[in-house]
Amino acid sequence: MIPLLILSPLILLAALGAVWKARPVHAALLLALSLALVAVLYLTIGAEFIGLVQFMVYIGGVAILIVFALLITRPGDEAAELDRRPRSLGVGLACVLPVLGLLLFAFSKGLPASSAVEANPALPVQALGRELFENSVPAVLTVGVLLTAVLIGAALFARETGDKPEPPASR
Amino acid sequence: MTPLPLLLTLSALLFVLGLFAVLSRRNAILVLVGIELMLNAANLNFIAFWRYGPQDADLTGPLFVLFSIAIAAAEAAVGLAIILMNFRRTRSTDLNRLDSLHG
Repeated sequence: MIPLLILSPLILLAALGAVWKARPVHAALLLALSLALVAVLYLTIGAEFIGLVQFMVYIGGVAILIVFALLITRPGDEAAELDRRPRSLGVGLACVLPVLGLLLFAFSKGLPASSAVEANPALPVQALGRELFENSVPAVLTVGVLLTAVLIGAALFARETGDKPEPPASR
Repeated sequence: MTPLPLLLTLSALLFVLGLFAVLSRRNAILVLVGIELMLNAANLNFIAFWRYGPQDADLTGPLFVLFSIAIAAAEAAVGLAIILMNFRRTRSTDLNRLDSLHG
């Protein structure tokens, strides 16, 4: 419970930074920090395997991919981003606050009183492996096919085509 | 406060932050950052209900999280490839410049 209380605000602060920072590289690095802290949270509440997978895939894969994409592309106009802040903040909050209210209302009403009396046992990796490779083999194979398709598709999308870039729009 | 409501609150706030990023950012890569935050919040919910939910739960929660992480990685790869392809064409990652289907 104590690590949970320490980690939750840190995760939220990092996520807030990822959402709010005007400079894209800072936002991407704060996203990586937030994902890493969630992985630490998984480690502390007994889902060690999921935490390690989260570290490897999210930090080692997704966050690095995003940082490299930012390095390749040209950064947007930061001044324009800061300029339209107040308007985007207003519109964003108007769209987002009802969702937050609905989520909090749903689980303040819906949780049975007896839940969370004591935790289930920590994640047994052996049982998880059995479950994966005995009962959910079709799903595992489907994910394999999906990842292969993604590999080929991403390579096709990102290859150099030799097309000239369009001239900037005239408006 | 017991762990389950705390984790669900954390997950709801993370989801809402991600939604806010998706709605308010104009850089396509930062919209992807928001999507990753939302997916992460959903994963947190699965883990929270598996760990602190009804007793003798089976392993569906962690199993679903594993698949969800794989799909999230695939989504990020394809999304960034599309953004790169478009960047080659328009020299920009601004979502407002994606208007070639505009009537």
